Amino acid sequence: MPPAAARRDATSASDDGWLRVHPASPFVRGWFALAAIAFFFGRDIFERALQGQPVFEEGLARRAPWLLGGGAAVLAVAVLGFVLTWYFTKYQVSGGYVRVTSGLLFRQHRQARLDRVQAIDIVQPLLARIFGLAELKFEVADAGESAMRLAYLKIGDARQLRATILARASGAAAVAAPEAGAASQGGQPARPATEAPEFAVLSVPPSRLLGSLLLSEQSFFVVAGGAASVVLSAVTDNRAFYFYLVPAVLGLAAGYWNYFNRGYNFTAAVSPDGIRLRYGLLDTQAQTLPPGRIQAVKVAQSPLWRPFGWYRMQVNVAGYGHSGNAVEGNTRTILLPVGRLPDVLAMLSLVLPDPGTDQPAAVFAAGLNGRDSGAGFVTTPQRAWLLAPFAWRRNGFAATETALLLRSGRWWRELVVVPHQRTQSLALQQGPVARLFRVADLVLHTTAGPVAPRLTQAGLDEVRQLFNDQSARARLARKRQTTEQWLSQVAPAIEPANAGTPPQQEGQQHG
Amino acid sequence: MHTEAIDPPGINWQRVSPRYVTVRLAEWALGNLVAVLVLSAPLVFVLLGWWSWPPLWLAVTVPAAMLAVALWRLVLIPRQVRAIGYAERDEDLLVRGGIFFQRTMAVPYGRMQYVDIAVGPVERALGLCTLKLHTASPGTNARVPGLPATEGARLREELTARGEARLAGL
Repeated sequence: MPPAAARRDATSASDDGWLRVHPASPFVRGWFALAAIAFFFGRDIFERALQGQPVFEEGLARRAPWLLGGGAAVLAVAVLGFVLTWYFTKYQVSGGYVRVTSGLLFRQHRQARLDRVQAIDIVQPLLARIFGLAELKFEVADAGESAMRLAYLKIGDARQLRATILARASGAAAVAAPEAGAASQGGQPARPATEAPEFAVLSVPPSRLLGSLLLSEQSFFVVAGGAASVVLSAVTDNRAFYFYLVPAVLGLAAGYWNYFNRGYNFTAAVSPDGIRLRYGLLDTQAQTLPPGRIQAVKVAQSPLWRPFGWYRMQVNVAGYGHSGNAVEGNTRTILLPVGRLPDVLAMLSLVLPDPGTDQPAAVFAAGLNGRDSGAGFVTTPQRAWLLAPFAWRRNGFAATETALLLRSGRWWRELVVVPHQRTQSLALQQGPVARLFRVADLVLHTTAGPVAPRLTQAGLDEVRQLFNDQSARARLARKRQTTEQWLSQVAPAIEPANAGTPPQQEGQQHG
Repeated sequence: MHTEAIDPPGINWQRVSPRYVTVRLAEWALGNLVAVLVLSAPLVFVLLGWWSWPPLWLAVTVPAAMLAVALWRLVLIPRQVRAIGYAERDEDLLVRGGIFFQRTMAVPYGRMQYVDIAVGPVERALGLCTLKLHTASPGTNARVPGLPATEGARLREELTARGEARLAGL
């Protein structure tokens, strides 16, 4: 298999069909640089005005030409740079590929196969939002390349392009509208792909988000740290060190704000294109995860959240793990920032439309909250309770026909779900202590991300059996999986609108 | 201690070349002997009277402990090499290794992104090579060291062919 669908090389592609991003985008992206220049040259005048001095001092007449000339030159260079960058950045969607070229001196040409698109995001930073612009970002499964970005497009164009890419990626556009496909070889599709209808699944009320924030582990340490500070200052009779807490408080506030800003107004919806996640207070983001692109899911609950029955869900998606920005990577992998059990089950039903069991609710509930061998779970044998004195009754696995469920944690409860067809490779591991108790660990390898599926301290015979069974199940699932099932299982209501969708080509489930 | 404990039963393991012990010995010498020599330096200085700290017992204990650990590792090398094995099954390649910390990994042919062969200087002198398998997961750290060069080339071709026949997406 060609590992790199995107590659760089010098290109001399003809200009027809190539599109440019919105002309305002360099200024939206470079507003900070422009603001810095304005600040630098404006500060002097502003300070004078504030101090009540004449804005133009007597020596200025001599320096004015230089100042103005210098300022104009810096501004011109900056603007020219922006404009050139904009001019030489072009993109094209045709023939099953998205191509982006950029660069003046060092030409860069990247292309990505549409059927390997793993996820598409529309990101709107605050300033872009004011101007009605959006950045389109898509992840392509290949070795180590980061996302391809188009910044900025008009929000309508961005949605249009997303619909086009998803329609092509699913194979719907090429067959359902052959004439449009043929005409679109030049770049813009002749008949624009309509956005797939979507159905809201759940939303997270701001009050719950705030509550989850206040009950996070971070808050626990804040309270503990605050109490310790007060006690310390009372004991040592020293008030000065409150001063040193200021940076810490600022940092914490920034952390809380970031979390709140990102998680605000979180909604999830389902459409034939996949799962849509929207969130953000000032900067908004809309993620689309096409069907079958989620490699693994983790549902976690901390002890503080248990009284409220809240859970958090995170996912592994190929490409998200390579995100250069850690904060950004973290937020994008959140499938549900905080939700109750019905929300979790709803999201799981989207991720895993065919749970492969008769009583999915019972099995998942047992995975989330249960212990011992209810609902088909196999736990750590009693002989090994010393290795996990609290968690041994919870550490366990259950296999349905479509996914492997791994649960762990007595206090910090965790359930990891890995669809069989997403398993990359698996390994049995055993250390000397585990050997004494005849237990072993099973590790499932998935793409990079926050979820690291690991079954700890399972009985040797059971885990050996699982190792063999899981290989066989993964093999079968790889052969059997179709995207069609996803549609029919999740949202039957969409079927009539989408009846024309032909069976997916074999290659389209790949990647 | 039964070292085959975690392997699935009934597998015919291919063992790596015994010459790989030499490679491991070279690596061992490079790592551990240098460490022991460096840690012995204070002892020499103390004995020569150049340094007054650390005390003699400490200066002796540290390199001695390091030497003991190094010798223990040395003794283990042949057993560790014997513990490395691989088996080509119909649908996946099994790779095992380790004595105290055992690991058995199954890499499905359909999941292999690419296979590469690395040869270090000592390995080249002995006509050996190391085979590495890569999937879409960074966790797949499957390497089969100490293969004879011909066997390595054969395995690479075989795995590539099987991978192409069974290739699945992510």
